[in-house]
Amino acid sequence: MLSPERRTSMAERRPSFFAFQQATPLLVPHLAGIEDPLPEATPENVDVLIVGTGIVESVLAAALAWQGSNVLHVDSNDYYGDSSATLTVEQIKKWVSRINDNKIPCYKNAKLYASNDIGPTCKYKSRSFGIDLSPKIMFAKSDLLSILVKSRVYQYLEFQALSTFHTFENDSFEKLSNSKQEIFTNDTLPLMIKRNLMKFLKFVLNWENQPEIWEPYKDRSLADLLAEKFKLERPQVFELIFSIGLCYNTDAKIPETLQRIRRFLISFDVYGPFPVLYSKYGGAGEISQGFCRSAAVAGATYKLNEKFVSYNPETKIATFENGSKVKVEEKLVLSPSQAPEYSYNMPEQKYEVHRLTCIVEKDCSEWFNGNESAAVIVFPPNSLKSGNQEVVQAIIVGSGSECCPDGTCIWYLFTTQQGPRAELDLDAALEAMEISIIRESSVKIPQDESLVQVSEDGHSTINSFKLGQSFKEYVKREKVQFLFKLYYTQCTMVPPFNVVDPSLFMPSSGASSKFIPSACDNNVIYTAMPSSEISYDEVITAAKVIYEQIVGSDDDFFDIDFEDEDPVTSSNSYGTSRAIQYDENAIEDEEEEDIDMDQGDKDGDNSDVVGKLEI
Amino acid sequence: MLQFKLVLLGDSSVGKSSIVNRFVKDTFDEFRESTIGAAFLSQSIKIKDPKTNQDVIIKFEIWDTAGQERYKSLAPMYYRNANAALVVYDITIADSLLKAKSWVNELKEKVGNSTDDNDNDNDNNNNNNNLVIHLVGNKLDLVEDDPEMRSVATEDAVKYSTDENLLFKEVSAKTDFNIKEVFQTIGEKLYEIRQKELDNNNNKQNKGEINISLPRPSTNDSTSCCS
Repeated sequence: MLSPERRTSMAERRPSFFAFQQATPLLVPHLAGIEDPLPEATPENVDVLIVGTGIVESVLAAALAWQGSNVLHVDSNDYYGDSSATLTVEQIKKWVSRINDNKIPCYKNAKLYASNDIGPTCKYKSRSFGIDLSPKIMFAKSDLLSILVKSRVYQYLEFQALSTFHTFENDSFEKLSNSKQEIFTNDTLPLMIKRNLMKFLKFVLNWENQPEIWEPYKDRSLADLLAEKFKLERPQVFELIFSIGLCYNTDAKIPETLQRIRRFLISFDVYGPFPVLYSKYGGAGEISQGFCRSAAVAGATYKLNEKFVSYNPETKIATFENGSKVKVEEKLVLSPSQAPEYSYNMPEQKYEVHRLTCIVEKDCSEWFNGNESAAVIVFPPNSLKSGNQEVVQAIIVGSGSECCPDGTCIWYLFTTQQGPRAELDLDAALEAMEISIIRESSVKIPQDESLVQVSEDGHSTINSFKLGQSFKEYVKREKVQFLFKLYYTQCTMVPPFNVVDPSLFMPSSGASSKFIPSACDNNVIYTAMPSSEISYDEVITAAKVIYEQIVGSDDDFFDIDFEDEDPVTSSNSYGTSRAIQYDENAIEDEEEEDIDMDQGDKDGDNSDVVGKLEI
Repeated sequence: MLQFKLVLLGDSSVGKSSIVNRFVKDTFDEFRESTIGAAFLSQSIKIKDPKTNQDVIIKFEIWDTAGQERYKSLAPMYYRNANAALVVYDITIADSLLKAKSWVNELKEKVGNSTDDNDNDNDNNNNNNNLVIHLVGNKLDLVEDDPEMRSVATEDAVKYSTDENLLFKEVSAKTDFNIKEVFQTIGEKLYEIRQKELDNNNNKQNKGEINISLPRPSTNDSTSCCS
């Protein structure tokens, strides 16, 4: 149901718009320090009340505030971020015990080990760590990134590159060859495969216009299409589906999977030779704070430690635990993780995301590229001891991200596997990572032919069995020291695939019209808990769906026309960190010619990467 | 050019915004529309290097609370990497100095001051052991008109500032008294600290992590995409 009346947009409300029509300036939002402070009391009337400061709610708050809505944004916690928060070790401890007291809906089975080396007088301080409850990576070409730039929220944040994607196969980590150059110069790839691979990459960038190729496979998996139509072999198929497409199992459907592979390829080289960025000091928690600040600049009111208790749709009065009340003129938006007791309207959160987050006392720089401080590791189905059916994905974040102190590293593992099996898969993946990092960070591998094996498909792999034997002593002495280990299960109504589909986030038409007399959440719009998706893909879609519900259309979603000075000149790096401007190359290169398939055997000089292919 | 992040703190209606307005725009209590959407305000000043006597440009990136201090809901992001803080109180309201003191405590706790006994991780999450805090008593103009209105004695604030190692001045955003001087002092102090850091850490390279600068949206007109 769309509200019939539309509020004027920010652009319309800007005084310059009225300058010719009216003498007195109209009310504009309270801007960063430009106006007198707002009245001290809680606003008695607001247009929209948003409960929970997770990333979707925060984007929504900023969008509505800039659109002109009077927004009250609260969170029952004493920190920002809700289900996407970035927390210190101490905060995690409290969070875990609240889950185990059943005080946080949508979370269960939380288990925590935290070393005594983390504490006020210890080697590591709790607040030196920023642990994401919902770790994500951001593609360089994505709607969230566009909104970050458009809203200028990016100015509050610092971003770093992530270009390393490892796939775990044959008991070792294969680094992804994700550039055209790497494909051409990879001596282990037979020429035929190179050609077929390039043929597929060319197709995937323009798949919508070539339905004749993929439509016959619509009800089958991409693996079939890759094998039959493009004659690709298993290693390439796996790399495309799991490392580039970041899919969850071999059933991955077409065309969603094509879309995901393209997402990676077109993100490559937008800001430099990497497809993904991540924000320093924490992921979704930082981005949430940024959008909340933006909303505050646009006039939204913020209250932490404010627990929502009930809403009466007839009087439109929302009540908080401390007894305060507010009249909500239009809509109340509620995060499931902050739903009070008697929330009978909450959609069923039937999908589980199992997470295992560890902090190890090792910098893990072996896994990072150059200056970078983060990597992604993918464990495809059936690659682990546990015989995993679903993928296990891991995001590795090192100290350069300022999320953990020097000499430590955070490992975020997660899987879409449902049920108790998931923990076995996570454990198996953790063990594989442990063995791998010890091996890689140990003394240099001696030149021993028997240690290196060349497999049938031409990949050279280190024989881990022999390696394990020759370093038996060493490996035994060096163990990965865990400072922190946290298991938990988060539930969500969002299925683990195709999260950009807006219909997933539509409040189910039945529920919103239903009135349950004893419920405290009648007529409330629920947001979605984070999905298992590794990227931020769902965030903007989810926020827009609710925005449209409230405003009537999403035409003016972040339609802000800033008038101040050039933002490019204000870099967001402080201190000694240098900001490198990649933007110029990102916009240029339009004359890049289409790929010439016959250049396949010319190595080296063809240094552009697949991301630049014309679409 | 050296760039520093400066945050504002203090209770509502002590005049935080007026001080920044006066400093950045040289206006008082006047409607400005040109700053709509400003992530933060910037202003540069010139100081002299005490040794070489050469001009140095100091650019302040000034973060206002955007109202998030009202319900004690400032985000960690606000304090992060702050180089300086302006803590403001109103000399005509006795209580506001007390509140300012609690903001100073909050700052020291959140940003981490040099009193922190752990040196192992001083590179991480905060390299702000040299946070410069400037206490400011605003609305001096009111007291000049009517001395009866003063509720906070200058000596009390001076004593507190000395004890806590803060810079201190009484100012008036309305008459532009001492405003520039406050920022000038902060700038000089920041420069002094930065020089000391450079001397001490000459051999210490930065960790080499590289931040990516996100561009403006490509939909912008051609006049704005030169950087």
